[in-house]
Amino acid sequence: MEQLVRLPQQSPQRIGARDAAVVEFPTPAQGQVQPPRGQGRGRLEMVGIDKNFSADGKVPAVRGIDLACEPGEFVVVVGPSGCGKSTLLNIAAGMIKPDAGTVRLDGHRVKGPGPDRAMVFQEHGLFPWLSASQNIAFGLKMAGVPRREREDRVDNALQMVHLTHSADKLVHELSGGMRQRVAIARALVMDPSVLLMDEPFAALDAQTRTLLHAQLQELWIQTHKTILFVTHSVGEAVRLADKIVILHSHPGRIRRTVDVALPHPRNFDSPDITELVRLVRKEIEDEVNRVNAEMAAEAAEDRWKPSPAGGVGDHSVDVGGGI
Amino acid sequence: MIILSTWEGAYRVVHWRPYVFPAPSHVLDATLSMLNVRTAFGDPVTSHWPRVVGGDPQGPTAGPWYHSQLVEAVLTSSVRLLAGFGVSILLGVTLGLAMWRWEELDRFLGPLFLGMQTLPSVCWVPLAVLTFGINERGILFVLVMGSFFAIAIALRDGLRTIPPLYQRAGLMMGARGWKLYRYVLLPASLPAMTTSLRQGFSFAWRSLMGGELILFVERHGLGALLETGRTSSDVAQVVAVMILMVLVGMAADRWGFAKLQQRVQARFGLAAR
Repeated sequence: MEQLVRLPQQSPQRIGARDAAVVEFPTPAQGQVQPPRGQGRGRLEMVGIDKNFSADGKVPAVRGIDLACEPGEFVVVVGPSGCGKSTLLNIAAGMIKPDAGTVRLDGHRVKGPGPDRAMVFQEHGLFPWLSASQNIAFGLKMAGVPRREREDRVDNALQMVHLTHSADKLVHELSGGMRQRVAIARALVMDPSVLLMDEPFAALDAQTRTLLHAQLQELWIQTHKTILFVTHSVGEAVRLADKIVILHSHPGRIRRTVDVALPHPRNFDSPDITELVRLVRKEIEDEVNRVNAEMAAEAAEDRWKPSPAGGVGDHSVDVGGGI
Repeated sequence: MIILSTWEGAYRVVHWRPYVFPAPSHVLDATLSMLNVRTAFGDPVTSHWPRVVGGDPQGPTAGPWYHSQLVEAVLTSSVRLLAGFGVSILLGVTLGLAMWRWEELDRFLGPLFLGMQTLPSVCWVPLAVLTFGINERGILFVLVMGSFFAIAIALRDGLRTIPPLYQRAGLMMGARGWKLYRYVLLPASLPAMTTSLRQGFSFAWRSLMGGELILFVERHGLGALLETGRTSSDVAQVVAVMILMVLVGMAADRWGFAKLQQRVQARFGLAAR
């Protein structure tokens, strides 16, 4: 890897990035400015979140989640299916009440769903009785924004997702990728503090997904929104994230936080991305194997054993440093 | 067309008895006579066919076609249908919504309504007679009872198919309280609503015909016309009225409710086309 350039002190505010080898790309990343982070609104804090699927607490979904998204930060939660990552996102959105713990947005406690935490769903959730532009205008209408201003903001949002030509189309006349772009525009037009994304590209084909990854990066650089993004795809996480949070199942816990010290916009074909994907994937595999082995041992001993405690916690490792 | 001409031909050749079962030409005569037009298509073909030879003392009083039995009967039935179906929609939609919204209510009313739906609407006639007497209210009672259960059940079932995602999306965008109902759930329920109305209409039309057939009040609807045909042993009129009932029902369904349903489904992208 002859292109690796050591750039110390580039982002000292991030954990684990101090001694990291930070990868820089020859093209086209040079000269790009990273969006400012750590200032302005959009600080999402989740402290001590517990949630059970059953009332008696025997089927835990997530346990002891502490997660903070700094303003303007792109955080991706990655984990296998059933690890509670969507539950976590819905708790942040206020759609699900946690059994314990609090969610705060810029210091205010989150009590229910609201337009300050706009969400993009996996199944788009657009209203089929409205056109693309009416769907985007919906949140503004609910907020009582006057018609004139509403139209301007909707036009802007349509431009941001490059859909001006499809403004009057009905939802079923749009392709899968266009629907997700409308869903993103619908969320962004409300000027939320945080953008929550629940596997928004999972149902799309690979080409469309790559295209939307690039567009999302572009949007994020333009708007400086805090984004909390949930996915099961490590590749997606590495492409997009400033910070990857690895969630493990039974119950969902944060085991690792990985800072990705690659500048934006990223070249998705770069070997550094590929290498990082490999490392994160290995992390997850090791953890899955470890949990499986423990469960097998437990079953063999046929007695109750406390859940593994050694090495558990909010360890932050900079996997990028290993490249 | 082939069936009709075979049927008619059989009469001409074999000479079936027209008072047992009429030929198409007799039915045509009966229909036109209810419109105050005298014809004799059913008679043997002679030089003056199809004009009537001699007076017909049993026929209805003459007058312009728009004052005929048939027009009045169709109008009477339509007015009753509009009034009764309106009440039915109000009741059905209210209860359907309520059953969808409150599960306890549904557990209580759901099985009851399903049972009521299986009850043929004419079975409400005796109760209508005893409660309201033989009058317009009795007929409306039969109509409403015969159709609103179906509307409520169909609407409830349709509402249950609304994806919960719409509700979450609405909440996320700040649609709370009545706004959630007005701007998210109401439009989302339109496909269910049109389906339930279409089904409710066919129930309402059937109940009305049944009610009119038995409850003989001053103004005669189509059902009463059918009964008149029976009492005067006029098989041709009976068949003519039955055909008319089918035609009116089909017309309202095809040009009214089916159109409405198609438009809603096209908007939602549910239609095949």
